Amino acid sequence: MTTDLIKEADVKAPAPVHALEVRGLVKHYPGVKALDGVDLVVRQHEVLGLAGENGAGKSTLLKALVGLVRPDAGEIWVRGEKVRIKSVVDAAEHGIGMVFQEQSLVPNLTAAENIVLGSEGRGVRRGVYRWDAMRRLAQEQLDKIGSHIDPLARTDTLSFADRQMVEIAKVLRIEQRTSHPPVIILDEPTSVLESKEIETLFTQVRRLREFASVIFVSHRLDEVLDVCDRVCVLRGGESVGEVAAAGAAPGDLHRMMIGSTGSEDHYHDTAQRSEKTLRPMLQVRGLSGPTFRDVDLDVHAGEVVAIVGVHGSGREDVCRALFGAVPTTAGEVTLDGEKLDLSSTRAACAAGVGYVPAERKIEGMVGPMSVADNMTLTKQKARCTGPLVMPQKQASLVDAWITRLSIRTPNRGTAIQRLSGGNQQKVVLARWLVAGDIRLLLLDHPTRGLDIGARSEVYRLMRELADSGVATVLLADSLEEAIGMADRILVMSDGRATKEVACPSGGKPTPLDLVKEMV
Amino acid sequence: MKFTSRPAAVLAGLSLAAMALAGCSEEGGGGSAAAASGSCDPADVKLVGQVHNESNPYEASWLDGGDAFAESVDLTQERLTYDGDSTRQQEQISQLLAGDTDCLVMNILPNGDSDTAPIVEGAQEAGAYLVTQWNKPADLDVTEYDQWLSHITYNGIESGKQIGDALAEAIGGSGGIIALQGILDTGAAKDRFAGLEESLAANPDVELLDDQTANFSRAEALEVTKTLLTKHGDDIKGIWAANDDMALGALEALQQAGRTDVAVVGIDAVPDALTAIEDGTMTATVSSDGPWQGGIGLAIGYCVATGELSVDDIADEDRAWYAEQFLIEQDNVADFSAPATDESDFDCDNVFSRSQGPIS
Amino acid sequence: MTSPAEDVDVVAARPRPRRGVSFRDAGPPVALVVMFGVFSALSADFRTIGNVQNIMDTAAVLAVVTCGITFVLLMGSIDLSAPGVMGASALAVALLVANNRNDNDLGIIGVLVAILLAAALGCLSGLALVLLKVPSFMTTLGVSAIGLGVATLMFAGVQPNITDAMIESWAVDRFLGFSYLTWIAATCVLLGWSIQRYTRLGRYAFAIGGAEEVLSLSGVKVAPYKVAAFTLAGSFYGLAGVMVTSQLGAGLVQAGKGYDFAAITAAVVGGTLLTGGRGGILHSTVGVLLVTVLTNGLVQVGVSPYWQGGVQGLIVVAAVAAAVLPQRRRNQVTK
Repeated sequence: MTTDLIKEADVKAPAPVHALEVRGLVKHYPGVKALDGVDLVVRQHEVLGLAGENGAGKSTLLKALVGLVRPDAGEIWVRGEKVRIKSVVDAAEHGIGMVFQEQSLVPNLTAAENIVLGSEGRGVRRGVYRWDAMRRLAQEQLDKIGSHIDPLARTDTLSFADRQMVEIAKVLRIEQRTSHPPVIILDEPTSVLESKEIETLFTQVRRLREFASVIFVSHRLDEVLDVCDRVCVLRGGESVGEVAAAGAAPGDLHRMMIGSTGSEDHYHDTAQRSEKTLRPMLQVRGLSGPTFRDVDLDVHAGEVVAIVGVHGSGREDVCRALFGAVPTTAGEVTLDGEKLDLSSTRAACAAGVGYVPAERKIEGMVGPMSVADNMTLTKQKARCTGPLVMPQKQASLVDAWITRLSIRTPNRGTAIQRLSGGNQQKVVLARWLVAGDIRLLLLDHPTRGLDIGARSEVYRLMRELADSGVATVLLADSLEEAIGMADRILVMSDGRATKEVACPSGGKPTPLDLVKEMV
Repeated sequence: MKFTSRPAAVLAGLSLAAMALAGCSEEGGGGSAAAASGSCDPADVKLVGQVHNESNPYEASWLDGGDAFAESVDLTQERLTYDGDSTRQQEQISQLLAGDTDCLVMNILPNGDSDTAPIVEGAQEAGAYLVTQWNKPADLDVTEYDQWLSHITYNGIESGKQIGDALAEAIGGSGGIIALQGILDTGAAKDRFAGLEESLAANPDVELLDDQTANFSRAEALEVTKTLLTKHGDDIKGIWAANDDMALGALEALQQAGRTDVAVVGIDAVPDALTAIEDGTMTATVSSDGPWQGGIGLAIGYCVATGELSVDDIADEDRAWYAEQFLIEQDNVADFSAPATDESDFDCDNVFSRSQGPIS
Repeated sequence: MTSPAEDVDVVAARPRPRRGVSFRDAGPPVALVVMFGVFSALSADFRTIGNVQNIMDTAAVLAVVTCGITFVLLMGSIDLSAPGVMGASALAVALLVANNRNDNDLGIIGVLVAILLAAALGCLSGLALVLLKVPSFMTTLGVSAIGLGVATLMFAGVQPNITDAMIESWAVDRFLGFSYLTWIAATCVLLGWSIQRYTRLGRYAFAIGGAEEVLSLSGVKVAPYKVAAFTLAGSFYGLAGVMVTSQLGAGLVQAGKGYDFAAITAAVVGGTLLTGGRGGILHSTVGVLLVTVLTNGLVQVGVSPYWQGGVQGLIVVAAVAAAVLPQRRRNQVTK
């Protein structure tokens, strides 16, 4: 059963068959064709990138490979053998393991337990733990990927990057069940990592190639091209082609993903207004809180101000403090000339402040509730007469916004958690648009986890809102995004606002200029 | 289609229910007419005894007494228990009253004071014969009803005082004692403790060192007594408990502490307490005579139902009265060791013979 | 609360990985020490050796019940079956060892049979939970009723008093100053801790409370472990029922009355959260001592019995609030 690493040399000999092959996989959900005859080949010891817009069928395909989704038609072949995968355990038996996008570790167990969970082997004898053996087992796995995590540390005390390592170490346990090199699926492994951590991860992925095949999924096309040997592109549930990573540019991939050339004007630059009304909407003076001190900030009506800074700069807390979600110790904030009450989120809502949280799935939406209910969560007035919900009133309002923002949903009653990430985010944004009387919008990583198409639409929305006179504070996902979207950029470092950089259309600074200010 | 039919169904249901209600009260009216005359055939009388639960010896012996009476008139008693749950008690009673109530006789131990009124109203409406015991709000007047034949209870002040005096005597008239109270917000606990205070006033050399609640529970009394023994040590000469369960818990605590010089008294005369009195480990208890209680309620109802006794003939002072209770000490414990009923107590001429006077 | 929400903070703060006891867990033990100190200062009777023995003896039964319930709470379930299960085991043991109702004299075998019966009732709770998918709140309430029913049937109107020398001696005889019951409880705590630390059952109970779906994704079937945890809890209740019988010298249907909520309170006060995945046997045991010291101290200090209930509740709420204070965040959802 068990494979020693030394044997890898033999297995590495030119393989006559593909590590994994998918033929004509079909999966229909009511109203949606998630997979419409996907073909995919994973060769031995290669890193295959999987690219596609949100809703292109990536997630469904991956879930089918590990038995979480039962396809309606099509075949899966593993090393030249047709297989049926009914569960995660089945998948493991065939040497397929997946690192899930939503990290799937038990937070209150040790890293070692998580790594061996479900296949403890000699770590448990007759139901009794042998911690030493378990630690050694886990250490073996961690050694494979060269990680130096303490196996007996509690998982919830580890950083995101370390947890990702633990997940990879855990997935590699499937080697215990098969004598062949495994296929490891990494679903959006970089979405929560910092750039340095991403670099470490890539090193690991390249190391994995030595003894396994990897399917790598990311919405960051530059990453995909960087780490993969070959990239397969999905569109609308079909495979539309593949490219060798060497020599390909993100634009090429993007063109395949959306079926045409990527928009030149990604950030809707032309819509950025040049002349400003000089009416300051938001005025922050000397704001101090748990992780920031003495922050001054002005945002005019119709202006987008991005706050940039490294981790620990305190920018997230400033943003949340303006919404009353983080306590402040000193400072004065006025909104449109009136003092803004920062004691509660309720007061902020009432004053016309909107907040789009980074943790969309946890703080931004109520998953099981319908699109309509999520959209009107804040602005109850729009659909109510007194305390009663008026379904017709709500329906017409919601439908209007679904059309206007082209939100792709079967209907307004669909649970929001069934929508793709981009469409979820549109609903969350629409919540503040529905409110109508919004004056200040705080966007905390509004495009996190979205693909290029969805991003572009979010950017267009932001421009529209700015045009209507809303003041926007943006915590961008990347420096490029900050530069592309902002009229002005505030640089924060160690809890203080250190520099303000003008960022007008046509006179944008380069990322390098900003980095110099940040560190 | 669905929408048109639903209101119709509701209407139909409501009118059916209204008809049923009307039918019931009509029947009830007939029943109360029968009450004055009381013309049931003895064989048609249905006897029901209802107590909290059968898992305590006192209430079990109560139901046994009911069975004994039922047997003496060739009937059987329906034994009901409701686990100290007011809702369940009311449900059981409404089920009874929904059936044939003309010759129904109920001997009920209401869960608490507040549960008595709805039971009485129900019986009055349905024309069933009702005797209640122990719990009744002071402002609920039995003479205002003609189906609620009688309410029997015991003078808690008297019992508290009786055992208080017995305890004082046992410790030689002077020394420290501790008191274990019942559930503090119940009338029984309040009255019994008031009785102890009367006894203390009469025995000035007896000092109450501490009073704690053990909620009528054996296990809690064990813990509380242990704690008080460490607190007061050898100063404790006697333990006054508001019921026998707590007295038995206190005895366990004394045994575990190796103390044999402490006198213990309780109330209720449960079998274990009688054994303890026989052994000499316990000093005294008071008996309300559970089997008699189980029989007497049914007997009064039976006499009225069969016409041997008329509600109008029952004196007002016999509609709500204190029954006689007995102080049990080592010299008379043998008389109470085997709980039994005396058939002559249940003769229709004799049913009020144990009255100690009306409830003031 | 789900962990991802906390992750946001974690990344920013980037704490060092840690193993041992955290500051967060220090609340209840500190509260215990403080409370002990306050009562000692206020009452000379409280700080006697005799009273400390008394506190430990009093805590014994609750400690055993809490050991059992902790495994269920760790999984994020709840168990209200203690009163029924304890009643059934109390009656069973009282009727199986030397007693005044029948001629049985099975001694230690009787104790084992009683515990087995209790384990079966616990198993029933677990099976109802995983097979019928009924929430544990309801299944255990039902099993408690079944247990009380079984106990009442065995009671049959006459209290069985035990005459078995061994069981009676448990509550009376002392070893190193503490009654045998206290030593039994200490053994249970040690056993419970070992199970929690060193067995798959214990660790999976943690994991089920932490992230049950991850276990399924890892190919672990959780149902057997849930049933096993309830069974284990049942056997602890069974032993507790035997211990109450030993204390009272008689088998009472009401042997376990109030122990369900007392145990949950003790566990929560000690830091075993109702949401599951946090705390453990040692936490719960500290909670048991806290609650017991509080009850004892209030009597020793001489607080009027009319005030004790209210004061006790107030202090428990304050203790829980203080214990969770370090974990509180703004906008936290509390259910």
